[in-house]
Amino acid sequence: MLAIRHLKVAYGITEVLRDVSFEVPQGRIVALLGGNGSGKTTVLNTLTGLVKPVSGSITFEGKECAGLAPDAIVRAGICQVPQGREVWPGMTVHDNLELGAATRRDWPGIRSDLAEIYAMFPKLADRKKRYAGSLSGGEQQMVAIGRALMARPRCLLMDEPSAGLAPAIVGDMVDTILALNRRGLTILLVEQNIGVAAAVAEFAHILQGGEIAFSGPAAGLVDNPAVLRSYLGR
Amino acid sequence: MLLLSYLLLSGVTTGALYALVALGIVVVNKATGVINFAHGELFMFSGFVAWSLHVGAGLAYPIALPLAVAAGFALGVATDRIAFRPLMKADVISLVLATVGIAFVLRGVARVIWGGKADYLAFPPITSPEPVMLGEIMVIPQQLAVLGGAIVVMLIFAAFFRLTRAGKMMQATADNAKAATLVGIRTERIYTLSFGTGAAIAAAAAVLMAPLTLLYPDMGFAFFIKGFAAAVLGGLTSLPGAVLGGLTIGVIEALAGGYIHSSFIEVSAFVVIMIVLIVRPTGLLGVSRVRRV
Repeated sequence: MLAIRHLKVAYGITEVLRDVSFEVPQGRIVALLGGNGSGKTTVLNTLTGLVKPVSGSITFEGKECAGLAPDAIVRAGICQVPQGREVWPGMTVHDNLELGAATRRDWPGIRSDLAEIYAMFPKLADRKKRYAGSLSGGEQQMVAIGRALMARPRCLLMDEPSAGLAPAIVGDMVDTILALNRRGLTILLVEQNIGVAAAVAEFAHILQGGEIAFSGPAAGLVDNPAVLRSYLGR
Repeated sequence: MLLLSYLLLSGVTTGALYALVALGIVVVNKATGVINFAHGELFMFSGFVAWSLHVGAGLAYPIALPLAVAAGFALGVATDRIAFRPLMKADVISLVLATVGIAFVLRGVARVIWGGKADYLAFPPITSPEPVMLGEIMVIPQQLAVLGGAIVVMLIFAAFFRLTRAGKMMQATADNAKAATLVGIRTERIYTLSFGTGAAIAAAAAVLMAPLTLLYPDMGFAFFIKGFAAAVLGGLTSLPGAVLGGLTIGVIEALAGGYIHSSFIEVSAFVVIMIVLIVRPTGLLGVSRVRRV
């Protein structure tokens, strides 16, 4: 289980997260929603170790992770699929995936995981030798997810996986997220697209002004006009 | 024909050395976004280290070469630790100025250690300096040895960059450092490795070049400018571009010197670069950073 307690983060004197607490139970999908500037990205950056919190704790499977270096967090079992894919455009699909295992040295395990990812995304198997930058948005998203899986995480952080994808592919993305969860992955989904969040997550938290403003079952969100209006400005 | 073949061979030889200097500049720039202005001095210093090992300590050339390359790598790592890592969060101007500082320190230290002998040290030739006629073509064995050595260094580097995990991590960090951090690559180590590798290539260039010319503490800047020009010509972030740029400049210099006047050697390359950059601002093999969404 991933537990975030009383997390406080500031850039200089600007407080970005005031007192954020929530949990992502083992094997579940939890959505973190919020508009631009609500602090979603800061939560993720703190979870991945890019930003050090002022105070508060982040525990994963009982281990304190707040303030650890990014590579230590990947080793602890948390890996992020960044927003906008952020694949390495000048490298082949194969090299992109292989480097996802940068923290690992168990070569036979890496090889079998690669085979598994090609089985999960057959399209990538066909495009192994292509430069990742030449793939479509949906395919790049598969590379980004596959690359994160190569670290063998037990908790996956997904930052706006539906952003910038053609509407027709968003459905595939939802299926992929559900499939990953069925394989036992705990998932924290950060989204602006309430539809996607409601389709996959059990529980949702809405972040506003650096605080959790609403917590509740994700299914109810779409039908809750008060939530939509006041917290997402729609 | 005789003149042309001679000029082409010496142009390609010098160009291959420029290419090596340019490769080092590009490796560091790709990874860190910084132009290492101490690059020429790392080249010079490593050349002197090779001189001390080969002439001073009497080690065989094939032994002195890898040792000097190792020394170059260590100097590059030191540059990273002194001038880059502590300033990583500072703006680019500070970083560049820090490398300029390293350049002056290295030059001063080189003068203290190897200066005083009229400041010019001769490096013994590794092969016979006599030209050999191959039919219509005049070949200088020394140049061929240097050219061969440069090609070997480039191949070793290409293999390292394309085939090893460390090389791929360097490439990934250069492509997108944030993504590299998120998969657990320790990017600050990759920056150190890039500075070390860049300096090691410069050291190899210096050791290859030393038997062709004299060593002097101020030689670094001249080679840096040529290597930098070659890197710019190739697009500043393209490794094949750096090689192409280096060869182009070497050949142009040789031809301009041979057919026009020797005073054109120094300027001819820059004229060509200006023309190339007006026509193709991204350099010969540079790419404007466009990413498909």
